[in-house]
Amino acid sequence: MTVASGEPVLECSGIRKSFGDHAAVKGVGFSIAHGETYGLLGPNGAGKTTTISMISGLLEPDAGEIRLAGEPMTPDSTHTKRLVGLVPQDLAIYPDLDATENLEFFGRLQGMKGAELDRRVAEVLEIIELTDRAGDRTEQYSGGMKRRLNIGVGLLHRPTLLILDEPTVGVDPQSRNAILDSVERLGEEGMAVLYTTHYMEEAERLCDRIGIVDQGELIAEGTQADLVRIVGQRDRLTLTATGSLAATAAALGELEVVDDAGVAGDEIVLIVDQAHDHLPRILEMAARTGSMVKSVDVDSADLESVFLKLTGRALRE
Amino acid sequence: MKPVAIARVNLVRFFRDRQAIFSVFLLPMLIVLLLGAMQGGASTPKLGFSVAEDDALTGELLGILDTVEGFEVIEVGDADSAVREVERGGLRAAVIVPAGYESTLRAGGDVEIRLMTRAGQEIQGISEVIGAAVTQQATLLRTARFAQQTGAGSFDDALAIAMMAQEALPPVEVVASIAGEPFVLAGLGQFDVYAQGMLVLFIFITTLNGAVTLVRSRQLGVSRRMYSTPTPIRTMLAGEALSRFTLAIIQGGFIFIGTWLIFGVTWGSPLGSILTILAFSLAATAAAMLLGALVSNEQQAGAISTALGLGLAALGGCMFPLAVFELLSDTVYRVAHVTPHAWALEAFQKLVAEDGGVGDIWGFLLVLVGYAAVLGVLAVWRLRRVLVR
Repeated sequence: MTVASGEPVLECSGIRKSFGDHAAVKGVGFSIAHGETYGLLGPNGAGKTTTISMISGLLEPDAGEIRLAGEPMTPDSTHTKRLVGLVPQDLAIYPDLDATENLEFFGRLQGMKGAELDRRVAEVLEIIELTDRAGDRTEQYSGGMKRRLNIGVGLLHRPTLLILDEPTVGVDPQSRNAILDSVERLGEEGMAVLYTTHYMEEAERLCDRIGIVDQGELIAEGTQADLVRIVGQRDRLTLTATGSLAATAAALGELEVVDDAGVAGDEIVLIVDQAHDHLPRILEMAARTGSMVKSVDVDSADLESVFLKLTGRALRE
Repeated sequence: MKPVAIARVNLVRFFRDRQAIFSVFLLPMLIVLLLGAMQGGASTPKLGFSVAEDDALTGELLGILDTVEGFEVIEVGDADSAVREVERGGLRAAVIVPAGYESTLRAGGDVEIRLMTRAGQEIQGISEVIGAAVTQQATLLRTARFAQQTGAGSFDDALAIAMMAQEALPPVEVVASIAGEPFVLAGLGQFDVYAQGMLVLFIFITTLNGAVTLVRSRQLGVSRRMYSTPTPIRTMLAGEALSRFTLAIIQGGFIFIGTWLIFGVTWGSPLGSILTILAFSLAATAAAMLLGALVSNEQQAGAISTALGLGLAALGGCMFPLAVFELLSDTVYRVAHVTPHAWALEAFQKLVAEDGGVGDIWGFLLVLVGYAAVLGVLAVWRLRRVLVR
């Protein structure tokens, strides 16, 4: 099964999945071309993991269609599964085996054997920079090393589509950078990558195209430039504050110069036309509604602004 | 072969766990040793023989005791040494022959032979054995003295004639018959009954504990990752089952050979025993796979597998012979056969007690394979539901 250049590696349309009364995915559809890195960006619980579980053949969709290299993908599509390398969000490696043993085991499940398997295990150990620690049990590894091995298992059989589900969650900044560098290299080498994250910066750095997911729906899709155009020439104003943040955000959202307002942790995020001109008025309103502003940041529009514009909520809520 | 790859990884992981190796291989042997020792000691009981002075009649008495089966007669020094050895448990009992044994008897006097045992120890059987030996010698002495008194010659000549006459006379043999079935299998050694039960009990518990491994794989996310590769659920389950089955037959083989070599346990037809171990291991493996697919965490799996393993073993006759259940009530006996344990033990008993062969146990083997088939199908169905939902 091969994919011609230009032909989509992945096509999914109208996929739905419910768990009891809860609709986790409500008709999501997108495609990924050969060599493209596609990001699914959305907050926790948006339906990203359920979507990629269906794409990797772990879950049966209630409706819709998923095709990899033109072949349908379901939990029983054993042959189609060869095209996918899945890197799950939670570590899925044996802690009482070493890195080589883990890689060899999953390689055998992918149908690899003999010299080919040995060679590829050595290559992947180099890629994930674990050659020196290959003989140590993985329970002795740091969190970042385990994450890198988790990714290595997904890469082992040179999949046509590599699916990474929030691979940097809980990782120290140094390891996070190493992981992002690896994903960038894979994209440059022509591997199609589906990358889910709730970190805007990762999507901006890695992805050729981004799909924004919220509450089980794909609410926008395009390049970063396409998506930012949705917001227009507006600024993103971030107020770090204490007090009644929700009440302040609601009050600020009523101002005619404020397009959208949301709360993310101890921050109020606003989409504002010409933020610098309206800053005194905004600060005065914040004070009146019971919030004490400690710092102010004004940035040009980004994916965070897009999400806020589209959903009325901050990405990290 | 993917099932082999999965089984290999599981076995490598198992053999890295020293605690598991102890509970799978050493613990069953220790329990068989302990229960067997409680049943009757680990070796032939030792009977001490202490004489104050050597003479011909004490030598002869020693010779008579030496011919008695079921004891090993050991000569000890003086009476005090004999008492000390009995107190320390080195001797089951000691016979203490006083000074002047022969001369007193020749003179027609009475001699008191002391039999020492530990406080609380059953004495009747031992004293009967000693009494019989002494009576045998006393009969000869009385005969010789009677012959001497009736003028048939000297005491020594009469004694020699009496001994020759005793050897020439055909012995009177007493044949004992037993009515009804033996409570515990007759002819079995002290370890035999427990070895069968412990083999069945430990194979089931160890294999059922494999459910923990399956649950751990699920919790680690490894099962889902395996399923994202071109590996169908039936192949995954076959690999998991193969590792449990391999471990079960390694453990079964170890107990089988170990108890035979170390404790002299009788297993009957080797082929029949091996087939019974294989069929029972298969049933236990399928039960482990089903439990692994049903429970949701390791704690549940560990607790349920131990409780179920011990409960089914008790119900199935591993701790008390099935004959006991049969005596209690027909219903209890029938309920015991809900467990695969009872069928395996019946097969072993057929092989050992009735000297049966494979032809006599095929029905039991079929039942065990049937258990494996039904439980295995349920496990595949359940695991698919757990992974693809």
